[in-house]
Parts: sequence; structure tokens; C-alpha cells
Amino acid sequence: MPAAAETEPAPPSMFEEGSVDDPDWVPYGERPDWRDVQPVPQDDGPEPVVRILYSERFIDVYDRFRALLASGEVSERALRLTSAALELNPANYSVWHHRRHLLQALDCPLERELEFTRQMIEDHPKNYQVWHHRRVLVERRGQPGDERRLTEIVLSQDPKNFHAWQYRQWAVRRFDLFDGELEFAERLLEEDVRNNSAWNQRYFVCNNTTGFTSEVVAREVSFCLQALRKVKQNESAWNYLRGVLFQSSAGLSGHAELTEFCDGLLEAGCRAPQLLAFVVDASAERAAAGDKEALQRALRLCDELAAEHDTIRAQYWLYRRRALAKKHNIE
Amino acid sequence: MMEFLHKRHARYFKFCMDSIPGEYTSLDTSRMTLLFYAVSGLDLLGQLDLVQDKQSVIEWVYRQQITSELCDGDLSRAGFRGSPANSSGAPLNQWDCSHVTMTYTALATLLVLGDDLSRVDRAALLSGLRALQLPDGSSLSSLHGGESDMRFVYCAAAVSYMLDDWSGMDREKTREYVLRSMRYDHGISQGPLLESHGGSTFCAVATLALMGELDSALTEQQRDGLVFWCLSRQGLGFNGRPNKQEDSCYTFWIGASLRLLDAYQFVRTDLLREFVYSTQDPITGGLSKWPGHGADPLHTYLGISGLSLAGQEGLKPIHAALNVSSDAVEVLRRAQARWRDLPPVKAVD
Repeated sequence: MPAAAETEPAPPSMFEEGSVDDPDWVPYGERPDWRDVQPVPQDDGPEPVVRILYSERFIDVYDRFRALLASGEVSERALRLTSAALELNPANYSVWHHRRHLLQALDCPLERELEFTRQMIEDHPKNYQVWHHRRVLVERRGQPGDERRLTEIVLSQDPKNFHAWQYRQWAVRRFDLFDGELEFAERLLEEDVRNNSAWNQRYFVCNNTTGFTSEVVAREVSFCLQALRKVKQNESAWNYLRGVLFQSSAGLSGHAELTEFCDGLLEAGCRAPQLLAFVVDASAERAAAGDKEALQRALRLCDELAAEHDTIRAQYWLYRRRALAKKHNIE
Repeated sequence: MMEFLHKRHARYFKFCMDSIPGEYTSLDTSRMTLLFYAVSGLDLLGQLDLVQDKQSVIEWVYRQQITSELCDGDLSRAGFRGSPANSSGAPLNQWDCSHVTMTYTALATLLVLGDDLSRVDRAALLSGLRALQLPDGSSLSSLHGGESDMRFVYCAAAVSYMLDDWSGMDREKTREYVLRSMRYDHGISQGPLLESHGGSTFCAVATLALMGELDSALTEQQRDGLVFWCLSRQGLGFNGRPNKQEDSCYTFWIGASLRLLDAYQFVRTDLLREFVYSTQDPITGGLSKWPGHGADPLHTYLGISGLSLAGQEGLKPIHAALNVSSDAVEVLRRAQARWRDLPPVKAVD
């Protein structure tokens, strides 16, 4: 434990000393035990551009941070300074890196830091550095904390947070935490069947556990159809369906259940653009195998998509139609 | 909003060039990108004349360069910093090193300002790039403290293309990383098995294009699938992932991807324009990610460069892979021609 300066009370922890926003925060420039550190102002040159209008507190803290970078001081007060610096700018990756360097040099217990990281992640869930920091620490530790629970909490607030999903994938793969992961994705899809990230996670699990065996493909196709019965115009589900079918030798048009499903929807009058696009591709597949009726169907649907059901992409559908016709030597 | 507030956006960028409000402290290490948005934005708007002292801006950019002289033997840190925030002068402190996104935006900014890049320490810079590439082909952002993903692969490729020298990058590994990141829906993610996303899709497509491998790397099926994935991002404007909200920045990320894939003709530019116009802030100028959210430099620049791709009148045409005006690319070509007359530089290990 550092010897406390005579004129200042001992700090509450070696890690931090309260918030920069606290009314009783004392700037480093006014602390007697920091008198030995010459502040290093930012050298922005004679004519700076895109100047950021820093607060006085920001300048006070960062002038000391730069000073400690220059001196290379390894100490608990240096570590505490990084807490203040990160509160002011959690996106400064060099501060995070310096903090990790200090944690290691001071041989600090990682538990406390993991808790600090959890706090920062909850406060700044879309910041790259906080997630990276935790990842490095967990790697260093060699075993996970409650990584899935942490991402679950973040995802409960923003179910599509890219950082949380990326971190979760890393933790699941690194520590083989696939157990229950398919169910997690399923739960999120129950809450929002349009959650593209959850669909992607499902693919990730299948890919890294069972692989896409014919049983798995069949199961996933059924799962998709269930989801599509709920919401037909769900691009995520249709994309997933195609992705899964790509893993099977039967292609888009070789699954009876699926063909029936699509025909059923069409007969019931459903003209969801994703359904029609799927039938175009499935029909094109059959056309390539010589099915002339399928070819006509594909051409007709391209026209319908262009004219009525997916007019945003009309030019694309007309191009598809031309390409198909050309491929099969028709007008 | 039926009008493009051309002059107001120019004023917005001019204001940014002087100063950014205090709440942008989170961008303290990325000021180079803010400078790029402002300078290149003014260029696209044909209002670069609002930058009264181009030379002093150029000086600021070069001040962020870590040259071989500063490196004192360890060229792995060479390149450009985003700002002087973490520098404590010479000799360099242990973490003072370049950041690949800042190197890209620094070079781009210099070109827009008409600088001939003669003060760029190319050999050192290429060594710096090489130090950032990982065995899986992806790239770190900087030597100390960062993640690796498609964003930095793109920046490294853009830098290599600009320097007309690929010795700082293993292109084969880069290509493999890109292909491994193509997903089941044919969109491209930041890395293998992650969710496909408009930003990473642009980074991947542009990387392949800059390497001259866009046609050879993708099968017909992959290319068709990718084109359709990109086109499916359009509702009014573009979103970045299926079932997500439309956002003005994808006007560029998705638009440029489609342009590079020779599929921009399928975009409904009338709808796109309507959306982008609605994100304009009539009071401050600038564009926000969606209507009423509040303008920021990134969305302003990407909305405008995206509109350039859509053929917006009054905007300069852009180079879709580099995201700078064709005028800036002319400056680049002249610099590259000059280098070809000089003895070659090679990345030093």
C-alpha cells in the first residue's frame, strides 16, 4: 500500500478515487502529492485545426497523463489517473493500453478490474475499447467470468448491439460455452423474430457445433418456416433459410415441405417480395435442370416484382428477367 | 425537405474545421478523421476556397506523422497519428504510434489539399503497415491496444493503393480474410461468422477492388448474392443490416459497394435523395443519421459523398473505393508518377 501523503486522506481504493464530476474532485494541479509531476500540455502546433474545446478538468487530467507516459512511471497513482482519464474519454485506446500495462506491472488482482470493466461496458455499450479491454483481461486470466450474462444484459437493452454479439461469439468460442446458446438465440427470436443478429447467432452455433448435417438442415428449415408463418416479410428469416439450404445438396427447390409452404402462401395470395424472390431463385434452379414451366414462372414473377411487388428494385428484377431469358435463349 | 442545403453544409464543415464542441472529447484521438470529413466535404461541395490557409492545415497533418527519424529504429510505429493527444514529444513515449485509419485519412486530406505527398516517409509507413497485419489476414488499427477487423484491412489497402506499393500487405492473406468474412446471406461482416453489415461490406468490396481482385475473387453466385444483399438495404434510404433502421451513412457504404460492383444503376436514386434530404439539419447545417437526430461530421460527409455517387448536381464526382473527389485522385496520380521516377522504396522488416 502506498504511504499516504500527510496532507491528503488515503484514497478509497488503489484503482480509482471518485468521479471527475464529483463536487469535491481536486484537480491534479492543486494536489501537493502531484507537485513532482510537470504537466505536459498537448502540443497542437502553432495553428491547430478541428480543435476540441476541452474542459479545464480534461486538460488537467490529460496534461498529467502525457507526463506519466513520458516518465514511464509505474505506480498506483498512475493507475488511478487512468481511471480519471477514461471517465473523461473512454475512447482513448492508449489510456486503456497504458492501464493494462500498469495492471500487469503492479500485479493487480484482475477481479476488481473485471468489475470496473463491466461497469464501463454498461455505461458505454457501443464503445470498442471497453469490450476489447475486457477481452484482453479475460484472455490474460485464462478463464471466463460471467461473459454471457454480461452480454445478455447489454443485449436486453439493445438486442442488436454489434459489439455485444461480437464479444459473445468470441467468449462462446474461446471457452466452449455453446451449451444453451441455440436456446438463447431462439429466445431472442421469440421476442423479435426480425432480429437479424439473433438469426446470425443461430448460424454461428450450428456451424461450430453440429455442422449442417441433413438432420440439422431439416430442423433449421422447419424453424424458419415456423418463423415465416408468423411474419412473412422477414428478410432475416428468408436469408437464413437460403443460407441453410445452401449447405444441403437439395438446393432451394429440393425440399418438399418448403415447396409446399411457398405454394401455399402464393395460393393464399401472399405476395411478400422476399417470398417471390425465393420462388424466382428456386424456379431458376429447376429451369436450369430443364423444367420449362419453372422457367416461365420465374420470368413471370420477375415481371410482377418489377411492376408491383418490389418496385424499389424494379430495374434489378427486369435485369434478372433479361438474364434468365438470355440464359435460356428466349426473348 | 425538398432542397439540398448546399451552402449550409459548407458552413457546417467550415465551422468544424475551426473547432468541435466539447462533447466530442470521445473523438480526441480521431481528430484526423474529423479533418478529413470537413476538408474532403468542402472539396465535394466545391467550396475548398473556404479553407483560407491550406498550407497551415497541411502542416498540422504532417505534424502527426511518425517518421523513421522519430522511430529511432523501430519502424513498426510509423505512419500518422490521429492527434497529438497521447504524444509527449521526442523521444517518443512507449505508446506513441500511428493508427491506420488516421494514416488513411491523413493521406486523403493531403491529396484533397493538393499536397504532393513528398514529405510522406513511405518506406517507414509501409513497415508500419506490415507490423499491423495478423496471420489470419486481418489488420490491427495500431500497435498498442486494439481490435482487428475489416475496417483496418480497408484502411491498410487504401494506404497501399495510394502509395502504389503493396509490400506492406500480404494480399493473398487479405483476400482470404475477406472471403472468409462473406456470410450466408452474401453480405460481408467484420470477420468470420459475425453478422454481415453495410460498413464492413464496403470495406471488403473496396479492399478487393483496390487490390484489383474484385472480379477474380468472387464467384458469379457470390457476386450476384452480394449485389442483391446490398440492393435489399434500400427502403427509402439504405440501412446497414436487414430489419434495421435506415441511416444516412449507408448512402456511401452501400452506394459505393454497388458502384464498385457495377450495380449502382439498380438504385432508386429518387428515393435515396428524399431520405438523405430529410436528414439535413436546417439550422446547423450538416446531416444526421436519421431525421431529427442531430448532425455530426461523419454522417454529413458520408451522406454527401453518397449523394455524389447518386449523381447529385453541384457535387464533385468521387472515387468510390477511396472516398475522395476525382480531383484529389488526379493529385495522387501525379504523386505516383513522380515516385515511379525515383529509386524504389521497400518495406523494411
